[in-house]
Amino acid sequence: MTEIVADTPTPALAEPRPRVSASLSDDMQLIAACRRGEARAMEVLYHQFKRRVFGMAHRIVGPNDAEEVAQEVFVRVYRGLANFRGDSALSTWIYRLTVNAALSHLARRGRRQEVPEENLPEVAAAPEPERDPGLASRIEAALQQLPAGYRAILVLHDVEGLSHEECAAILECRVGTCKSQLHKARARMRELLHHLGTRP
Amino acid sequence: MKCEGVRKQLTAYLDGDLSGDRGSAIRGHLRGCDGCRQIASDEAALRDGLRSLPPVDPPASLWAGVQARLAAAEVADSERPGWRRALARWIPKAPQLGFAGLAVAAVVVLLAIKLRHREDDRPVVSTPTKIAPTVIQPDRGTQPAPVPAPTNPADCGETDDGDVTAQVAAQPARKTACYAQAAQQWRDAATQERAQWSDERKHEVDGKLASFDKEIATAKNERVRQRTYRSMIRYLQRAVIRDDVALASNGGAP
Repeated sequence: MTEIVADTPTPALAEPRPRVSASLSDDMQLIAACRRGEARAMEVLYHQFKRRVFGMAHRIVGPNDAEEVAQEVFVRVYRGLANFRGDSALSTWIYRLTVNAALSHLARRGRRQEVPEENLPEVAAAPEPERDPGLASRIEAALQQLPAGYRAILVLHDVEGLSHEECAAILECRVGTCKSQLHKARARMRELLHHLGTRP
Repeated sequence: MKCEGVRKQLTAYLDGDLSGDRGSAIRGHLRGCDGCRQIASDEAALRDGLRSLPPVDPPASLWAGVQARLAAAEVADSERPGWRRALARWIPKAPQLGFAGLAVAAVVVLLAIKLRHREDDRPVVSTPTKIAPTVIQPDRGTQPAPVPAPTNPADCGETDDGDVTAQVAAQPARKTACYAQAAQQWRDAATQERAQWSDERKHEVDGKLASFDKEIATAKNERVRQRTYRSMIRYLQRAVIRDDVALASNGGAP
């Protein structure tokens, strides 16, 4: 059995794609190999999705719980591959598991960081701002104050760059719903950033 | 075009989802409306800011953690009863089978559990009265003392005060009390038989009973305690009737 090394900075693990043989390049072959319990295939799948899974978890549940949620997602992925029917792309399924695990985690934690509606000030027109070099960190801070559902759609669409169709498949909603949620989420983000004294 | 309508479509416009004259109409409005232009500018900056957030690298410990949790889950699988593993396999297929099939499976499982519990409850308390009379031979010179019948579980401290919740909560402890009572009766029977035992056998039985007592005292819950009591009662039954069985198989010869 291949000895699996944790996320060390060795070039071979940091860049998993060159290690993927032609036989594992296809999703279904990768899934079949994982179902057989092949350690190398499981490692390849992990490296293929680790950044996005961890990144989504990090931005939805915050840095403290991201690792726990990401671990839970990968465990669900490996244990659920036997039942994966291929109705959607492997990536869509994994991102759906990630979003669901993150939202469930938030629900379990009972965390409520949403800013109440009445505390959000109206957006007022202001002169064209200069580009703020610290904007990224303030966006991250505002993101953590968004309601979890809005956070999920912003992370999927704007941060991860997924299409509305992909977001809808992951969130199991209609494309129209996805677009309207994104619109509301961005409006709320603008309000939060304004409230924090930052204009995007 | 009014500001409200424009602002509702800004997200779609900025994402390039509006084409043709709809996009053109939005652009035309933005040229003449400072407020909407500012909002559009803010939203575009926000979208760009979100897109340019740096990727978050997973910690080095993530993969090790995944492997550890997978291993723990597999160990838990191996310790889970077969019917629960089967249920876990079938539940994801429920939508294909239909809920009727699932309901039937649930009923079967519940019946199986109920039967199993009934078996757990049944054997020991009721056995002494059945075994003792059939095995003990009357033609033996010294007649063994009659084995006292165990107390009915209903008599073990049950109170009918109408508080069902309290009764249900007290049920495990009451059941343990019944087992304790039955065990004590068998112990008394063994004490009467003891005079006929060799020293070696007395020593063996005493040691075993001491071991049972210790297990009962340190049992982590009522279920374990009851199981130990059942084992103790079976042991005492064998100890008490062994002489009689041997005697019967030798045709009553001493």
